[in-house]
Amino acid sequence: MLSFENTKCECGHQNPVGTVLCESCGKPLEASEAASDMPLEMRYDGVARRSQKSNPTIIDRVWNFFSSVKIAVRIIIITLLAAIVGTIFTQENAFVSFDPATYYEEKYGWIGKWYYKLGLSNTYESWWFIGLLVMIGTSLVICSLDRVLPLYRALSKQQIRKHLQFINRQKTVYSAELKNDPEAWIGQMEEQLKRKRYRVHRDGTALLAEKARFSRWGPYINHIGLIVFLLAVLLRTIPSWSMDNYVSVPEGEIVQIPKTNYFIKNEKFTVDYYKDEELPEELKGTNRAKLYETKAVLYTCSENCDDPLLEPKLEEVKQHDILVNHPLSYQGLKVYQFGYDDTPKLKAVKPVLIDKETGQTYGPFDLTMRDPELNYKLGPYTLELKTKYMDFVIDSAGEPGTQSREPNAPAFIFLLKGPDLPEGGVPYMYFPKQNDKVRFSQDAINGDIGKRFEIKVPKMEDVTFAAVVSTLNVRVDKAMPYIWVGAGISMFGLLLGSYWQHRRIWLRVDNGRVSLGAHTNKNNYGMRAEVAAVLHKTGIDVEPKSLDNGGNKS
Amino acid sequence: MSLVDFSSDAFIVAFFLYCFGFLFYGVAIIGRKFSNRNSEDHLRRWGRIAFITSLLGFAAHLTFFFTRWAGGGHIPTSNMYEFMTFLAMMVMLAFIVVYAIYRKPMLGFFTLPLVVIIVAFAAVFPQEVQPLIPPLQSIWLKIHVTTAALGEAFFAVGFAAGLMYLLRVVDFNSQEKSMRLQQRWVEFTLYVVVIIIAFIGSVFSFRGMGYEAHFIQETVSISSQGVESTKTDEVSYSMPPIFKPYNSQVQSMDTFLGVKEPLFETPSWMKGVDAARKLNTIVWSIINGTILYGLIRLVLRRRIGAAVHSVMDGVDPDDLDEISYRAIAIGYPIFTLGALIFAMIWAYIAWSRFWGWDPKEVWALITWLYYTAYLHLRLSRGWHGRKSAWIAVVGFVVVMFTLIGVNLVLVGLHSYAGV
Repeated sequence: MLSFENTKCECGHQNPVGTVLCESCGKPLEASEAASDMPLEMRYDGVARRSQKSNPTIIDRVWNFFSSVKIAVRIIIITLLAAIVGTIFTQENAFVSFDPATYYEEKYGWIGKWYYKLGLSNTYESWWFIGLLVMIGTSLVICSLDRVLPLYRALSKQQIRKHLQFINRQKTVYSAELKNDPEAWIGQMEEQLKRKRYRVHRDGTALLAEKARFSRWGPYINHIGLIVFLLAVLLRTIPSWSMDNYVSVPEGEIVQIPKTNYFIKNEKFTVDYYKDEELPEELKGTNRAKLYETKAVLYTCSENCDDPLLEPKLEEVKQHDILVNHPLSYQGLKVYQFGYDDTPKLKAVKPVLIDKETGQTYGPFDLTMRDPELNYKLGPYTLELKTKYMDFVIDSAGEPGTQSREPNAPAFIFLLKGPDLPEGGVPYMYFPKQNDKVRFSQDAINGDIGKRFEIKVPKMEDVTFAAVVSTLNVRVDKAMPYIWVGAGISMFGLLLGSYWQHRRIWLRVDNGRVSLGAHTNKNNYGMRAEVAAVLHKTGIDVEPKSLDNGGNKS
Repeated sequence: MSLVDFSSDAFIVAFFLYCFGFLFYGVAIIGRKFSNRNSEDHLRRWGRIAFITSLLGFAAHLTFFFTRWAGGGHIPTSNMYEFMTFLAMMVMLAFIVVYAIYRKPMLGFFTLPLVVIIVAFAAVFPQEVQPLIPPLQSIWLKIHVTTAALGEAFFAVGFAAGLMYLLRVVDFNSQEKSMRLQQRWVEFTLYVVVIIIAFIGSVFSFRGMGYEAHFIQETVSISSQGVESTKTDEVSYSMPPIFKPYNSQVQSMDTFLGVKEPLFETPSWMKGVDAARKLNTIVWSIINGTILYGLIRLVLRRRIGAAVHSVMDGVDPDDLDEISYRAIAIGYPIFTLGALIFAMIWAYIAWSRFWGWDPKEVWALITWLYYTAYLHLRLSRGWHGRKSAWIAVVGFVVVMFTLIGVNLVLVGLHSYAGV
């Protein structure tokens, strides 16, 4: 391969190494191509590509690897198969509340265990999958550069009079003796081709007609768009470029959006279901959601933003009714309706302290779930709040703890002090919710003190519940404009390349014999029909099919 | 009569017109050998009749679509029934476009049965108009679903032409080894089509008979705290249970052919949503499909592929190759726009991210990568013709899995398009 190759064509043009068809006259140069009588390999007009250098270095070899369409197809297929594997079981990011280390094995047995061990439960974030995407990106860049520049050169300096072999070995060909004057006939052809919106160039008895060359750039524009898109996806990994937070806002409250100077208020949350008469027979009686809506107000904070003890100074910037398909949008910040929680949660209770021996009650006192007071004075007794748990649980080690900050199962440990009680006070554990009290056996925990005293809420009116909580998803995604631009460019290129076809017709008349060859990068059927129609207008009747030079066969 | 009822009637009219369209295409293609007249004339005449009948079917289908839209208050593309009927309509549209370019009646002979099957398949799913849940209340329901379906419809026409190509070029008389392999695969493809027809047929026969069986299934699950809990569910079958649900008791069961008890129990590892019922349906489809296939073989006295192959002579395989490729090349940008770009825009508006590796999204990407590979392979020598046709045929399987399989087999955010 490295030996000297004579690449000078008989027409006198000096071609680069790797040229298949002479850049000037189109004569087949490559030995195998010249020997065959099949239609010509017309890809990129037979020009040499960068990857066909005669003396490859390491960089050239990498370049050559990625410049191959066959390699590109292989990478695509491997990516496709990897993507399929990732859909076999639910990916880790799709669920929140399970431990993946045990989840897969429990749910799917040994297959699930290996699925997890091989990292397939996180396929799309894995280094090798991202590596495949990077390889696709590299291939896009190199394949395109390798071809588009030589193709551009070849198409911008085309010879009108092509070699006979070049013309006769196109996929659409016509050859016959002319009955009338060649000059006049070529003139007719020129006119008819112009009517079909061809650009026609003449060189004596040779003619080149061309249309929709721009469509050749479609695939490259498409690839540029895809590269922009992939780069934009990479940009999203810059920390300050994207944010993904959830805030739970009870109705009527203002909550800070974490790590920002924004505060958001939930003025009213509505969940609405379809009424039975709106539903078809088989859905009647089911709760089919009709509307989730948070009437929201967005504020920016100028002072005391992060200090919970001080009142933040807020300024209203936007009001918006957030619906599922209608997020709040403000200067790149987007707030989406994500979910809601209308299960009753305690906000505050007003219990009393009962001395069971005397029947005397002391209180009531206000106990709020969030930020409760630390000391309560009840007649001769005092309660000192030592610990509180919002979502009480006994963990696997038998220690008390809390599962979350939501008051799902609140529990309080007080130090009860007063007459005829020990100096340091007696600990007393209090579960405001009756079912928690039973579930965690409050009486057993409190022991003797529980036999003498009881803290309880005398009537339902003394219990207040928190309002419905709307969960909002707050997002910043600064790369989005680039994502859309990339997608747009790609789509534009795709349209150009798919719905227009670059068509060229060469013809020359030698001694009264016309040789016509036509080439298109897509849709040879249409090309033949068009050539037949043009010939028909000049008085030559041929069946479109008879122009077929074959070559579609595998 | 309400608009929705009227639209259901229009749908039935469309179905029968499509059936007749197929029948007339059959007369055009098969009858041309037996016609006393010039076979070209016969083909042209009956081809035109068949095309006009199909166009009338399409008009009825459009009537169904728009009256259901008006009567239901939202575009009928919001559940499986509506989507499949829409897909069938788009396949007709794609067929009309491709037919306008190539004018080959043979294309109708293959596309119309495909449309008929999709329409009949759609009718398996519940047909009531369901009011939209909040995520679907968006203008993108109109834009995304319609364009995606149109792109897929062109892939369907590419599939039909690819299958035609294979039936045309695979020589069913040859004893050569490689040819026999091809024969087997083509025949297998047709066998799968017969099974799908049998599936639809089984559903409607048992539904017509009013067959019912009910089971009480116990599911034992262990929570993350290690607490064991037992849940009982009622599982209803509309086909006689060959496989009953795992760990279940018969509550009531109609007898079928004298069988009063389920024959087998579904293995315990099949845990998906309604896994047992799906397994039962699949088994029924394969049994009935095999019987149906055997009957067809008895009538034809040769393989189906061989029978179809024999009516296809005179068709230029190069044209079929070109049509298949062209249909896919037309559909690819539409698919990209509808199933990826519009999908990303909607996902960004409704789900706050443009891409989330949800199974449906991944499968749309897989379909796209698949056809991307196809289009790039077409640039190479040696990938035209037979190989290309096989890729087009398999590609449609990928499309159908994306549309239906993902919803039936995998779980994800698109589950509201449920069944």
